[in-house]
Amino acid sequence: MNRIAQGLTLVLLGTAALTATVPTDLYLNWVKAGFGPFLIGAGAVTVFLGVLVVVAELRGESQAPDPGDATRAHVGDGVQEGTEHHTSARDHDRAVAAEYGDGGHGHDHSRAPKVAWLLLLPVMAVFVIAPPALGSYTVESTDGSSGPPPEEAGSGGFEDALAEAGPGETASMAVQAFVMRAWIDEDREMADRDIELTGFAVPEEEGEGWYLARLQMACCAADAVVNRVEVVDDGPVPEADTWWTVRGTWDEPEGELSEVGEHRFLAEELEEVADPPDPYE
Amino acid sequence: MPERTSDDATPSAALGDRIAQGWSDRDELPPADWGRRTSSRRTGTVWLFALLITAMAVAHAWLTDELTHQAFLTWATVFTAIAFQALPFLVFGVALSAALTAFVPASAYRRFIPQNATRAVPVAGASGALLPGCECASVPIAGSLIKRGVAPAAALTFLLAAPSINPIVMIATAVAFAGQPEMVLARFVAGLVASVVIGWIWVKFGRADWLRLPTPTHAPGTSRGRVFRESMLHDIMHAGGYLVVGALAAATLNVMVPRSWLLTVAEAPVISVLVLAVLAILLSICSEADAFVAVSLTDFSPTAKLAFMVIGPIVDLKLIAMQAGVFGWRFVVRFAPLCLVVGLASTFLVGGLLL
Repeated sequence: MNRIAQGLTLVLLGTAALTATVPTDLYLNWVKAGFGPFLIGAGAVTVFLGVLVVVAELRGESQAPDPGDATRAHVGDGVQEGTEHHTSARDHDRAVAAEYGDGGHGHDHSRAPKVAWLLLLPVMAVFVIAPPALGSYTVESTDGSSGPPPEEAGSGGFEDALAEAGPGETASMAVQAFVMRAWIDEDREMADRDIELTGFAVPEEEGEGWYLARLQMACCAADAVVNRVEVVDDGPVPEADTWWTVRGTWDEPEGELSEVGEHRFLAEELEEVADPPDPYE
Repeated sequence: MPERTSDDATPSAALGDRIAQGWSDRDELPPADWGRRTSSRRTGTVWLFALLITAMAVAHAWLTDELTHQAFLTWATVFTAIAFQALPFLVFGVALSAALTAFVPASAYRRFIPQNATRAVPVAGASGALLPGCECASVPIAGSLIKRGVAPAAALTFLLAAPSINPIVMIATAVAFAGQPEMVLARFVAGLVASVVIGWIWVKFGRADWLRLPTPTHAPGTSRGRVFRESMLHDIMHAGGYLVVGALAAATLNVMVPRSWLLTVAEAPVISVLVLAVLAILLSICSEADAFVAVSLTDFSPTAKLAFMVIGPIVDLKLIAMQAGVFGWRFVVRFAPLCLVVGLASTFLVGGLLL
């Protein structure tokens, strides 16, 4: 990979990062919203570096006419890509350095290994595939794998929308918070409360009933964790990956909360919503 | 640097070595049309990129809406997520390492880090707690530390400790495991112990020629700005290319391995620990996020979750690929198994004592 190619690759990579963050909200499909400023910064630095490299190359910085430079550049040229750091080249370099009295700097930076071409893959992913947010496919394929973390157990202090909503008010809860409460809130504070949940629909595989699901993400889509609630209503099963806001109440189970396999929600009202800007919680 | 010379003795030199050997032996003058050939090749490169951009524009217009295969899109999302989540850390790490190369004189390291490698290792381990970043940032930084004359064992300890025990990782762990401070403590202790022990093992048994360090010292006359730029370019091209390899592998396994089969082994005491260690290697989750995944694996024992968080920052596919890019494969085939074994031993020990 010659220096022009390296510079242009960096420019494209940075452009992809900037495209996903500044004019569009594509990046929210992949990483936490908090990553936005960092991606913009990294994209800008990458573009800047790429431009610097291309400009320096076009101005002929690495092609000074003295024989030392020419010989060294030739070594960089001839050695196969990816092997430029091997001893023979280094020995040669050292010989050149001894002969021309400098540190032997030159060939090492003029080329990059072939693997660097792979940096174009994320670029193509952004511009050609434009990967969507994870959805019902992920929920189905990680079926039943995860429960909510047992955090805050016993400490009694839930800091969620239900705690903030006054008595009698509708609490607009995150699906994650709902599942957490349904699993570990021994005080059963959700019982008989009006609750509102927003998520995407995942029809049950047998076609009976459906789940309202939302993916919880700590950092990026690779660590997404599924939270889902079985919705009990009389209507037809909605299409997969359509987004809904459901209003209703928790179907309070009998017996131990921690032994409940499926958390159920008695829906009274359903409303289809446009995709929320941030698909993750 | 004496460690470079011993490469020659390798009997199993790659094809590239032999070709390179041939080139340097011949010692011929540059051909008369050398300058012209380069410029025509440059023009070719520019055309190649123009073609690529055109192809992407065409594909964007015609192909994007046709791509509806769910498994493929999930794979693409996870791949893109890993790549772009790591990009800021990579750029940050590479910039810091380039700054170390360009602006900090080698004598400064000698003042802060003991010359004796055995004593330098714990110092490096403790200073790992200072760098807020993930493993993508620490690989190029460790490379530049070695180049600046820090003992390789100490730099490797730093490489392992920084993503394992830095403040952001500790805070993330405390948030994920709220109400379980022993988990945060166990992670800190197990991560630090593993890093320092691996460093000491490297002091005792490590050989300098296993490490390949690409960038030579720069000519005295080169301007600092130029050293900075060249060092950054070099590190991004090497570490970045392999980061993409790691992201490809991790995304593929993330989508192909159904997590449900993990549950069948969650009950077995030792097996479950090993399974989560392997899962940490395969998923290659950033160390600042792995605690949230670990906590969601509710069916597993605390020691198994600890293994997930201790192994993940020191051995995973993304890291293996990046280390190969910076230090070479001869290093990785020895270093990664060592990290895995020591990391597991440390997990069992600390898990047994604290959890």
